[in-house]
Amino acid sequence: MPPVSLVVENLQKRFGQVVALDGISFSVEPGRIFGLLGANGAGKTTCMRIVLDILRPDRGSVTWQGKPNIALRRDTWGYLPEERGLYLRMKVIDVLRFFAALYGVPEAQATREVEEWLERFRVPEYRDRKVEELSKGNQQKIQFIAAILHDPDVLIMDEPFSGLDPVNVQLLKEAFLEMRDRGKTLIFSTHQMETVEELCESIAIIDRGRVVVSGQVRDVKRAMGRQVVRLATDGDDNGSAWVEALDGVSITARREDFIELHVPAGTDPEKILRAALQRSERVTRFEIADPSLEEVFIEHVGRPAAAEEERHLAAAGRAGAELPQP
Amino acid sequence: MTDLFPNAWHVARREYLQRVRTRTFVVITAVLAVIGLGLAGLPLIGQVLGDERAPTIGVYAADAGLNTDPAQSLELALNAIGSEGGGDGSGFEVRSVDDPDAAAGQVRDGELDGLLTIGRAPDGELTFDYLSEESPASRALLGVRSAASQVAIGDRLARAGLDPSQAGALFAPVAFDLTPVDPNAQDPEENFGPRYLVALAMTVLTFMAVLTYGQWVATSVAEEKSSRVMELLITAASPRQLLAGKVLGTGAAGLTQYAVVVAAALVGLLAQGVIGERLLGSAPADPALQGVDLAVLLTFAVFFAGGFLLYALLYAALGSTASRLEDVQQVVGPMVVVGMIGYFASIAGLNAPDAEWVRLLSLVPFFTPYLMPARLLLGSVEPWEILLAAGLTAVALALALWVAARIYSAGVLLYGQRLSLRNVLRAVRVDR
Repeated sequence: MPPVSLVVENLQKRFGQVVALDGISFSVEPGRIFGLLGANGAGKTTCMRIVLDILRPDRGSVTWQGKPNIALRRDTWGYLPEERGLYLRMKVIDVLRFFAALYGVPEAQATREVEEWLERFRVPEYRDRKVEELSKGNQQKIQFIAAILHDPDVLIMDEPFSGLDPVNVQLLKEAFLEMRDRGKTLIFSTHQMETVEELCESIAIIDRGRVVVSGQVRDVKRAMGRQVVRLATDGDDNGSAWVEALDGVSITARREDFIELHVPAGTDPEKILRAALQRSERVTRFEIADPSLEEVFIEHVGRPAAAEEERHLAAAGRAGAELPQP
Repeated sequence: MTDLFPNAWHVARREYLQRVRTRTFVVITAVLAVIGLGLAGLPLIGQVLGDERAPTIGVYAADAGLNTDPAQSLELALNAIGSEGGGDGSGFEVRSVDDPDAAAGQVRDGELDGLLTIGRAPDGELTFDYLSEESPASRALLGVRSAASQVAIGDRLARAGLDPSQAGALFAPVAFDLTPVDPNAQDPEENFGPRYLVALAMTVLTFMAVLTYGQWVATSVAEEKSSRVMELLITAASPRQLLAGKVLGTGAAGLTQYAVVVAAALVGLLAQGVIGERLLGSAPADPALQGVDLAVLLTFAVFFAGGFLLYALLYAALGSTASRLEDVQQVVGPMVVVGMIGYFASIAGLNAPDAEWVRLLSLVPFFTPYLMPARLLLGSVEPWEILLAAGLTAVALALALWVAARIYSAGVLLYGQRLSLRNVLRAVRVDR
């Protein structure tokens, strides 16, 4: 039986002296939401462009449901590029109809769907506005609609949440889930780990053109071999006075109302609970959890994604000044 | 490979509608139309202003003792020379004057174009003195001089005893026919002037179309790239579809502009006849369209369209290598140079339409649209040469689409410092 998933195998790509992809492999099950995590310049965009066949790899292959991507129809994919761009001087409805037409969607159907989606995004009044009159966040919604009007099987989105306010992030997340429920496969890249935790079943973390870890989010976290405990107690400053005396346990974060502890593999978290019950007046919170994706990321890449986020913002200031495309 | 249509059509449609709706397009088209109308109406305007009034010459012959009216015979002789010489047909008017000093004043004021004073020398010969602003080499002066000789010869014959009617027969025009060496050749006397103008107009039209609309195409590609809409476009359609659509759409917008301007000019030409008749009682000289038949116009249209598409495709490819709009002018430089070479070759070719180098260059697709009109109108072209040129243009177009699509597909994803051609070509090798 041929594989039904999207299989990316050993992609390699150089731009002059720069190695952009150094043997990237991962696979995405159909009907799932997949997160592609990595620092700026890790190779996410190059990887996406190769999947879309707007760039050809030096080596390696991409198949979807057993077919190589170069043999697939263009309307298999929906794409939301990182650098947003629409025809600014055209009306929203005209831009969207134009892209729909390129994918062969009849005009009446395109118009109907555009109106539906504008309604869903709570901006039906933008239908006849010019794109340039819209805010960045709203342009992004229009761009998302442009990517899905032709009902693609696979949606590929490069940093879809960057630059959106929380309300719009929420609207977009809902749209993602809606697409998944319609049986679509979604792949997106991001720096925002909470979003990934919330939406993705599987991920791949890319660093310097290689996949450092990939698989189901739960498995990736478990593979770290350690756990996180969140503890809050009364009367002893949440236990921060004594907890580090325990073997191998360290405090990773002190919050206003709890502390977060790392528990190494082989140590039973319940040992902490027993100690807390003895030493403090009352235990108000005890929670055993897998490490966050943030921690997984740091573990594998060696740097926090947050710092990357800042660097990314700085980089966005000097828009796209680098050669081909990290 | 994906099919060109219908996506090229969608792209072309968007391009066309967006283009013709811009205020710049509307304003420039209107301005050009007014200029076209004005240029076409120029001869009429000139006539109304009086620049073209028939030259008037005064004759004072009181001291010559002639038995015929010299004014009448001068006018006859002058106008006979004028029409034989293939002149502009503007007849001379000759009138007798009684007061030579007043007439001389009129010449100085510009009311008269010249004053011919006829006297008689002691030996009986007539003497002529011509007062005028004409330069010694002017055609009008030559005419006056030759007419004066006729009057003098007539006078000698009369003194020798020949009667005036016999003398008249002596000056009757002779039967003189011109047999061309090549009977198929166009009559150059009759048509060279207007045909030359039409060929020149075609060359200029081609040049402006290539430069202006080529620039539109390149700018439009660079705009899509810098506004980043490009990445969506190449996901939705193939580079060939995008290129073909862009070039067709822009070309259609350019043609629209041309059509408006040419229509305005035609209105100017036609109105001229009507207004001229009303205003001056005579239509101005025939508009310069005689000798240009439909076949010539159709051939020109084909080569014009082919040439425009060829240039525009390459303009688009080069435009795709610019990261910013400011760079467009620089990256399209090579095409501007090729266009200029074609233009100047064509201007030179107008004067030597049958030269060997013109024949050869007219078969090169980049230069065909420039040189073929000149050869068609002014020289001789074999049908097979036209077919060969058309075939070569078609091949060049297919090739240009292929090359341009490659440069474009690599160019549109490359941002950064101005891209050297080498960088782009390297990217072409590894992309599709």
